[in-house]
Amino acid sequence: MWRLPWGVFALLAAGLLPLAGSRFYLYLGTDIAIMALFAVSLNLLLGYTGLVSFGQAAYFGIGAYTCALLMVRAGIPFIPSLLAGGLLAAAAAFLFGSFCIRLTQIYFAMLTLAFAQIVWAAAFKWNSLTGGDTGLTGVPFPGFLDSPARFYYFTLAVVGISLALLHRVVGSPFGRMLVTIRENPERAEFIGVHVRRYELAAFVIAGFFSGIAGGLFGVFNHSVFPDFSYWTKSAEVLIMTILGGMYTFLGPAVGAGILLSLNMLVTSYTEYWPLVLGLILAALLFLFPDGVMGFLQTRFRRHRHPEARRA
Amino acid sequence: MRGIRTFGVMVAGALLVIGSLSAPGFAQQKPIRVGYPMILSGGGALFGQPSLTGAQMLVKEVNDKGGVLGRNLELVVRDSKGTPEEATRVSRELVLKEGVDFLVGGLTSAEGIAISAVAKEQKVIYIAAIPKTTTMTDPGKIHPYVFRAAANSFTEGRSGAVFMAKLPVTKIYTIGPDYEYGQVVSKAFVDWLKKLKPQAQIVGQGWPKLGEQDYTPFITTALAAKPEAVFSTLWGGHFVTFAKQAKPYGFFEKVRVVTAGEGGSPETAMALKDDLPLGLISNSYDVFYFHPVPAHRDYVERLKKFTNQEYANSWASTGYIAMQFLVEAVRKAGSTDTDKVIKALEGLTIDSPIGKQTMRAKDHQATRGQFWGTTAKVPEYPFPIMRPVEYIPADDLMD
Amino acid sequence: MSLPDPSFLVIQFLSGLTAAMFLFLIASGLSLIFGVLRVLNFAHGSLYMLGAYLTYGVVAWLANTPERFWVAALGGSIGVALIGGIIERTLLRRLYGREALYQLLFTYALVLIISDAVKLLWGTGQLSVSRPPILGGSVPVFDQVFPRYNIFVIVLGPAIALLFWFVLHRTRAGRIIRAAALDREMLGVLGVNVDRLYTAVFIIGAWLAGLGGALVTPVVTIVPGMDVEVIVNAFIVVVIGGLGSFWGALLGALALGQVMSFGILILPRFSLVFVYVLMAVVLVMRPWGLLGKPLRG
Repeated sequence: MWRLPWGVFALLAAGLLPLAGSRFYLYLGTDIAIMALFAVSLNLLLGYTGLVSFGQAAYFGIGAYTCALLMVRAGIPFIPSLLAGGLLAAAAAFLFGSFCIRLTQIYFAMLTLAFAQIVWAAAFKWNSLTGGDTGLTGVPFPGFLDSPARFYYFTLAVVGISLALLHRVVGSPFGRMLVTIRENPERAEFIGVHVRRYELAAFVIAGFFSGIAGGLFGVFNHSVFPDFSYWTKSAEVLIMTILGGMYTFLGPAVGAGILLSLNMLVTSYTEYWPLVLGLILAALLFLFPDGVMGFLQTRFRRHRHPEARRA
Repeated sequence: MRGIRTFGVMVAGALLVIGSLSAPGFAQQKPIRVGYPMILSGGGALFGQPSLTGAQMLVKEVNDKGGVLGRNLELVVRDSKGTPEEATRVSRELVLKEGVDFLVGGLTSAEGIAISAVAKEQKVIYIAAIPKTTTMTDPGKIHPYVFRAAANSFTEGRSGAVFMAKLPVTKIYTIGPDYEYGQVVSKAFVDWLKKLKPQAQIVGQGWPKLGEQDYTPFITTALAAKPEAVFSTLWGGHFVTFAKQAKPYGFFEKVRVVTAGEGGSPETAMALKDDLPLGLISNSYDVFYFHPVPAHRDYVERLKKFTNQEYANSWASTGYIAMQFLVEAVRKAGSTDTDKVIKALEGLTIDSPIGKQTMRAKDHQATRGQFWGTTAKVPEYPFPIMRPVEYIPADDLMD
Repeated sequence: MSLPDPSFLVIQFLSGLTAAMFLFLIASGLSLIFGVLRVLNFAHGSLYMLGAYLTYGVVAWLANTPERFWVAALGGSIGVALIGGIIERTLLRRLYGREALYQLLFTYALVLIISDAVKLLWGTGQLSVSRPPILGGSVPVFDQVFPRYNIFVIVLGPAIALLFWFVLHRTRAGRIIRAAALDREMLGVLGVNVDRLYTAVFIIGAWLAGLGGALVTPVVTIVPGMDVEVIVNAFIVVVIGGLGSFWGALLGALALGQVMSFGILILPRFSLVFVYVLMAVVLVMRPWGLLGKPLRG
């Protein structure tokens, strides 16, 4: 429970960002907030349930397309469109998840990847619906959010509420059961837990929030492209989650902040960003076995809990 | 281990602090800063890098002669990585953090669209150096801040049709990558060809996926349809792969091939050398061995010296000419004020290395044509070139 | 569409076989490494790309030597094997105690590093290697033609498979490798030097990837980006064939090769999606693939 103040402080600090007067940092902040939500939603599967998803971008993309399509083609206002994006993503998660959770470990991961690539390919080819590879363009900031600061605050609000909800989920008996399942799925089965149902529920919840993140991202970028569901996007969010620390709630959010800031820094100094980024990533991997947050946690904790060390 | 970790945290923390505190580069009063988002890594880099080089050369030349309105030009470059999200991100960074006055660049159509959206959002001029998609400048999509110095996909397809119509063939097969560019250029080709030669017949169309590594099923299917000629929109490395795989089938001997996508560029020829099919009709953004205007000869020499390469790269012209438009417009406007420069750009005619280019006021597109010719072996160079070759202006081919 | 001419179908089949052999070279190494080390080597495509670039480099260096292609292919693949060995020994090894995800992440970092290393050394231009002269041109097949080089590849695939069959089933080293795929801890207990085994397997896997890259140079363009283009197909092959199964990689490659070859005849505009649909179908119906073993625990 001591984690709660961290998140609240971070949110308050984030709320002060517009006062710094730089529009650039507002855009960066919005970007980080959206990816933070995406990463934390993935972590519900990864860190809490022990399910490695290589295809979370599928729901990100579905959320983005749904929200943008409803706004641009059907003239539906932003908030309902955003919610619809999350719901459709959740529905897709239910459909795909039903197949995926029957598999374990690497096979689960591969199937999530396959479904995400199918979503990508569909978005790429379905010109009439999605605009194909040149994307769905002309998605404006909605009228009541027509400035970067307003959009930033709105994003912060949506992300804040989503994170709070997710936090509730992981703190609840349901959430604790997920951790039990992660620790030892067979034992959970033995004590009568319908492991598959819990996993599917986690999958759907993660899909919903990934879809919300996607919806926000599409409007933020004024366009939605098939890339939103490509495996590189799934890889990006996976790296954020692991790097930030998958055994803490906010770890992935921290990872999002680090990775996006690092990306911005490195690309502004050199065109050889893959080399620099790759080296930094490798270094961080070796230095921080539990991710950055995990490291900070063990560092500042008074009592070492034996299970806290994951390596 | 602890020590290393602590050190690592400190370094990471320091990096973040430095990064966030670095002064947002507000537009200094002295240089005119131009943001150049371009693909510099991965598959597209083979065009992106030389495009950047062309822009850099223009900047150097202008600065050596005293700059623009007494101010130096400064190019701020970012790798757009070939994804529209990154293009959006870096464009915003360029405008808001680096404080650039203008944006020039972009490579893929998706990037062009993404950067254009940022240009509209930030009210900054964007001149597309390479993106060909007409959706950027279509009525309904166009906005005051976007301009295109590149050729567009309609021009390319129609130029191909002009050449195909001259050949004594009526049965034609098209093959192209199955995405917007391939689809649009092929359609433009087919529609224009039907206009020029109503008796032409499209006997089939092959649509390999973008980035296909194995074209052999498409090659054999195409040949099985027994066309007299083939129109291809495979470009860059995709065309090279296709040509290598098609060669043993005697593809280029069995059918006449007209290919868009800059298959006739010197770089493709230098890569393929003896594997480049001869008698291929193709295009290129620039050719160093043919001079449509006297100024071209000097441009090629300067480019060779600037890049320290024996054969001047054809893609440099995309960056060079896009920057030229910008510079001339700023000079004409007498200021870097966006609205004034927009007015100056509209209808502006410049003397580019390939001849006169005009930026049309009605749709913000330059009348950019390309060099079209037939590949042949020549004694002067260790690789085939296009001979005969001519510059096909776009004026009559654009809507 | 009229019934296709049978010789045309034969050619399509042979094309599918050629593609399959290239896929086999890459996927077999990936499967082998996964089977023994339990590492999903994301950088496998990068090793393939390195093989291609190194081959180009040697071919360019040996400018006018007649059989330079063969020297280059051998040199290139061995070079990649050595690089793989160094990476495994010095870096990957340190991550074995960790979660599989960290190893995967490390291989992703490798992808980034290798892609830039290649760009630094060879630039961003498109490079090409010609077919070796004795394998140029084509041979008649019924009333069609088929490239000679492709026939070489079709023959080489099974040859390599045979070589590996011999090593895996008829030598002690091979027995150890097969045993390692089944039960690593037991091997350690039995006194096998597991560290050296892992390095050896990684080197072999890397060699196969490098060889694939070397041999593909006459038929594709060598450009940045070849690393990621190939890795997804490699994943699909190992999934179909069974993760960790060397022979599964062969079967999976054969299957995928033909699906791609005939798929474009049946569903021309959908080639982008049906490889993933195939992957999903296999995973849903038989997750451990054709020849894999259901994962324990």
